[in-house]
Amino acid sequence: MRFSSLFLLNTGICLTTALAAAAGGKEPHYPVATLAPALRENAHAVIRTEEETLLVKSAGRTVRTVRRATTVLDEAGANWATQLVYYDQLSSVSYLRGTVYDAEGQAVRQLRASDVKDYGLSDGFSLATDARGRVADLRQPSYPYTVSFEYEVVSDNSLFYTTWQPQSDEQLAVEQASFRVLTPASLPLRFQERHLPKGVAVAHSQQGDLQVYQWELTALPAQEEEPYGPPLSEMVPAVATAPTTFEVQGHRGSLTSWQDLGLWNYELNTGRDVLPEAVQARVAALVKDAPDERTRIRRVYDMLQSSTRYVSVQLGLGGWQTIPATNVSNTGYGDCKALSNYCMALLKAAGVQSYCALVRADEPDIRTDFPSNQFNHVVLCVPLTKAAKRDTVWLECTSQNTALGYMGSFTGNRHALLLTPGGGQIVCTPRYGAAENRRERRADVYLDAQGSATAMLHTRRTGLEQDQFSQLLHGLDPAQQKKRIAESLPLSNFSISKFALTDDAKAAIPTINETLGLTLPQFGTPSGRRVFVVPNLLSRLPAVSAPVGERQTDIWLASAFSHADTVRIHVPAGFQTESIPAPVKLTTAFGTYSTQMQTLPDGTLQYVRSLHMPRTRFPRTEYPAYVEFRRKINAADKAQLVLVKTES
Amino acid sequence: MQLRVLRGVLALAVLSGTGLTAYGQADPIKFGKPDPQDFEAKNFVADSAAEAVILCDFGRSRFEMMENDFKVVYDRVLRIKILKKSGYDWATLKVPLYKKDKQEEKLVNLRGYTYNMVNGQLTKDKLESSAVFSEQRSTNTSVRKFTLPNVRVGSVIEVAYTVNSDFLFNFQDWQFQHSIPVRWSEYRAGIPEYFDYKMLMQGYEALTVQERTENTGQFTIRFAGGFTGESSWSGGSGRQAASSETVTARVTNYRWAMQNVPAFNDEPFMTTSDDYVSRIDFELAGVQWPNEAYRSVAATWEKINTSLLDDETFGAQLKRGGFLKEKVAAIMAQHTDLGARVAAVHQLVRQSIKHNGQNRFYATSTLRHAYDQHTGNAADVNLLLIALLRDAGLEANPVLLSTRDNGAVNQNLPLLSKFNYVVAHVMLPDKQEMLVDATEELLPCGTLPTRCLSGQGRLIMPKAEDSRWIDLQPNQRYVEYRKVDLKLDEHGALTGNVHQEHGGYEAQHQRERLRTQGEKKYMEELAKGHDNWSLGKYAFHQQDDLQKPLSLDYEFATTGNDAAATTLYLNPIREFAGSKNPFIHEDRRFPVNFGAGMEETTMLTITLPAGYVTEELPKQAIVELPDNGGRFMYSVTNLNGAVQVISRMNLRKPVYSAEEYASLREFYTRMLAKHGEQIVVKKKS
Repeated sequence: MRFSSLFLLNTGICLTTALAAAAGGKEPHYPVATLAPALRENAHAVIRTEEETLLVKSAGRTVRTVRRATTVLDEAGANWATQLVYYDQLSSVSYLRGTVYDAEGQAVRQLRASDVKDYGLSDGFSLATDARGRVADLRQPSYPYTVSFEYEVVSDNSLFYTTWQPQSDEQLAVEQASFRVLTPASLPLRFQERHLPKGVAVAHSQQGDLQVYQWELTALPAQEEEPYGPPLSEMVPAVATAPTTFEVQGHRGSLTSWQDLGLWNYELNTGRDVLPEAVQARVAALVKDAPDERTRIRRVYDMLQSSTRYVSVQLGLGGWQTIPATNVSNTGYGDCKALSNYCMALLKAAGVQSYCALVRADEPDIRTDFPSNQFNHVVLCVPLTKAAKRDTVWLECTSQNTALGYMGSFTGNRHALLLTPGGGQIVCTPRYGAAENRRERRADVYLDAQGSATAMLHTRRTGLEQDQFSQLLHGLDPAQQKKRIAESLPLSNFSISKFALTDDAKAAIPTINETLGLTLPQFGTPSGRRVFVVPNLLSRLPAVSAPVGERQTDIWLASAFSHADTVRIHVPAGFQTESIPAPVKLTTAFGTYSTQMQTLPDGTLQYVRSLHMPRTRFPRTEYPAYVEFRRKINAADKAQLVLVKTES
Repeated sequence: MQLRVLRGVLALAVLSGTGLTAYGQADPIKFGKPDPQDFEAKNFVADSAAEAVILCDFGRSRFEMMENDFKVVYDRVLRIKILKKSGYDWATLKVPLYKKDKQEEKLVNLRGYTYNMVNGQLTKDKLESSAVFSEQRSTNTSVRKFTLPNVRVGSVIEVAYTVNSDFLFNFQDWQFQHSIPVRWSEYRAGIPEYFDYKMLMQGYEALTVQERTENTGQFTIRFAGGFTGESSWSGGSGRQAASSETVTARVTNYRWAMQNVPAFNDEPFMTTSDDYVSRIDFELAGVQWPNEAYRSVAATWEKINTSLLDDETFGAQLKRGGFLKEKVAAIMAQHTDLGARVAAVHQLVRQSIKHNGQNRFYATSTLRHAYDQHTGNAADVNLLLIALLRDAGLEANPVLLSTRDNGAVNQNLPLLSKFNYVVAHVMLPDKQEMLVDATEELLPCGTLPTRCLSGQGRLIMPKAEDSRWIDLQPNQRYVEYRKVDLKLDEHGALTGNVHQEHGGYEAQHQRERLRTQGEKKYMEELAKGHDNWSLGKYAFHQQDDLQKPLSLDYEFATTGNDAAATTLYLNPIREFAGSKNPFIHEDRRFPVNFGAGMEETTMLTITLPAGYVTEELPKQAIVELPDNGGRFMYSVTNLNGAVQVISRMNLRKPVYSAEEYASLREFYTRMLAKHGEQIVVKKKS
């Protein structure tokens, strides 16, 4: 899938009036003095006016125009004085114009055609992409100033309509913004209003043959995301729009339901899953002694992972239509669509039915209540038909390392659109909770009389806890892995004496084991006759800072995990324990925590810590309680034991 | 600096050079003939850590006549063994191509194969043209990208291609070292006597082969027939029938090779990997045509000086500041002190042109244009600065330099292409010198941006013989100072007042953060670094007075235990001085380049609760680096009812050699150990 479509912004209107008046230098435009103080507060920039228009010319063509004037208040808002207008094989930029006004509102510079640059927008990972951008830079040496940009994009790809969210960044205020959609009555607009202020609603009217939908927003003060809070898109007004009928390069589809969108995608790729006979025969031989469905899937997935790799080519309709399975079998590479389609074809040859599924990977989940193209990735879904109880195997076909059935933080815990002959169907990808996302650590620490120590740690990580370690293991050589681990250790002074990462292929859920040997010159702090030791070697959870001012948003604790630590401290001869930390047990709705320390019969000190955090949400009023919970954990994590030299 | 010189001569005769590739040495690789040994696992045991290995990288550059003009023809054959799935990216290759006006680089004769050993049989998959893509990055640059088919763990991939280039000034450079190990890397260059190239070798690996042989090359001059005009070459003129003639020229054949080159990896505190990786670069110094005098192109620093002063987008612009003469006159009237006058001109330029982030030493077009646009590259900004300083009666001249990320300049090789930046040099009447740059909003006049701290720059003077090297030593350090007053209570809770100052480059860094984040976020970030802190009142001072440090006063409090304790353990210095050794890795191959020195001072006083006394105090310590390279001083003093802790650290040198790395790491280790020691406070019994 292609990611580019998310850039599309639009609107339009003519510029002549603005420029003519500006040239006269009489009538000021957007003088900073008229800006309400409430909008300047905590803002780097203020959108003075934004007019965005989407004109639907036909099912296959749209024209988007944007006219936006932004006052830049300081350097941190200066990116608002630059403009990138995205285009590709299916769209073109009609014009890009710009003017700069000083604080008093007098025009000081016009953007000239020669000042507009044109760049290929290589995403850094694609072998080929048609994404391009027109770029203008109107940044000024002193603040404040106002920049206005106007541009128009004509698109022959109506699969994506605009999602209008004028307050698109933190610390950006909006004085006035409007959004209009003009569309023939035969192509009615679908839209979803989100977080609109009281009193703001769609104004519906008729203009000639066109239906007009219009929204207007005024005086939106700057917003900021809060720690453990929702993303900006959950706090600010927006209107999402989508077509009822669309057409891309002769492929027409309707979009009134998930079923419609799924059907269009399914049919676009129909007939592209044919394999050469030799490959079909190879698959048949591969699974001929495997009657079990899951074994067949595993063998096919192993074949896929060992014989293909991910190479992205996104050109025109190729952003949505897969290259045929035959090509993948010839070259051994493809993008997410192509590899999923190829794997589907291999499974078919093995007698297993599977379906491609669209997801939005690595970003917040789709809005299931507004059918529209919100996807950027494809995975493969294999329902088990012969299993005793209903079960599904999910396959990430672009990775050569991901374990069978694992979706991880990239595609797990979200919705997907299953593409079936009967159309699209919204389903859930696997969910990973605190029980799956585990980290278990066992450490033996050998302390000497000066406070130095050596330690041997064995850590087992599963589920989402292992994701980045799996990437380290499969992506970097051992020396580089060790460097990365060293950089991430929360210790001030140490050397690594031993290090190894291995994956446990037999585990039911992806598992990475880590062996770590450490030399710790200052594990214990000597002071006179005493040595102070914090037994919690590596698992300290930082406290959460109390909010500056009142908490505005709810608490989203999105990542579920559980940690279990056992640390055994081997005390040197000639020392005895003067004090050990008191046990702590915290049971709250946010999670549970406990620590306990005891002396084992052989004199070894054993510290046991457990932390369990589910995926939850709380109203903002609970924030002080959450801060207190984290403060108590932090205090307990830093508790120290005191050893004292016995008289000799 | 175009090829006008060459074209004038070449119009006289059409050369077809086929005799320039005479090498005595056998090629280290034959395209299309994989070595069976490369498919045996035992030959890669030593590379178990690597994702892929470059088996052979073989490049050749030579001169040929094509389309009535000289071209540099560059052939490359590259063979790579893929050892891990993470090495698949090595099967996708990119060839950047440049064009300017009518001159261009062209990729031709691209071929590629993937070899796999399948059940003891060697299979061969061809690179298809459908897997080759071209991407136009900008007007002058494009990239040819292609990927090889059927790549697996164990595959050997092989590509060969030729680049024909019109750019004789930029002879193809060669990089021996990459981020994966290289078994054999070889580059050959056959250069006829007409061309004189400067060659610049760098890196930390030694050459295995370095040969230079001379022979004679056979040149065939083809006359297409028709009217060829005056020709000093053939001695003839007027109408001619199609014919050819062979002449002999001396050719120097160079051969450089490295064997078993280790993988190159970035380390922290480096300028740019380009400064450390093993490579050889070329620059055309002169041309020598038959029966003509040697024409130097960039042979001396004096020549560079002169050509820059004559250049329309450099020297010529220094005389074009007149459009601001009223503003300059006002500054001159207001400031008779020359130092103040420099500062005023600096201020004017900084507020007139915003640096667009591009580092260049040629102006975009005219200074007037940049001024009208209010935006420009480093040359637009600093050439205007020099022009206006001169108009204001000061002796100001340009200093060419290469920024840290652009790589080092070799003073023995006068290569203009190694520079990418220009600043102003001012000589005050008392012979005091200043380096001035107006691209940074938050640096005071007279301080270079850290990106310019790259050793030495070249002063460009009105008289070429006066040009010289200028030290780019920083006149600022990273300075941090803190004064902390703490009150301890019986529960172990602390309340504190902190006064901190950020000076020198640290001031710029913190002002930038403050500007980006705003005061509220800045303080939230500050609190985030400390567990269990609640912040009270805060105030920033001297935000806009760039000559002074940025200062901040704030209050904070921590909560204590529920019950009063008879013994309290403290190590408060940890909260204020850094707590992680920046030198995590045990060894280092390259110098540690900070750019500027640093100094950190914390003075902390803890007032004890009534009835409590200190029981244990850390001992005083002094740690020094060899050669006066740095010093850490730590002391704890028992005052009446209070404890004073003083920690001072300074690193005097901007650059430490790789040999000094171990002592630098140890220095931090000892300092952090000292900061970790606790103060024990006890209730009087």
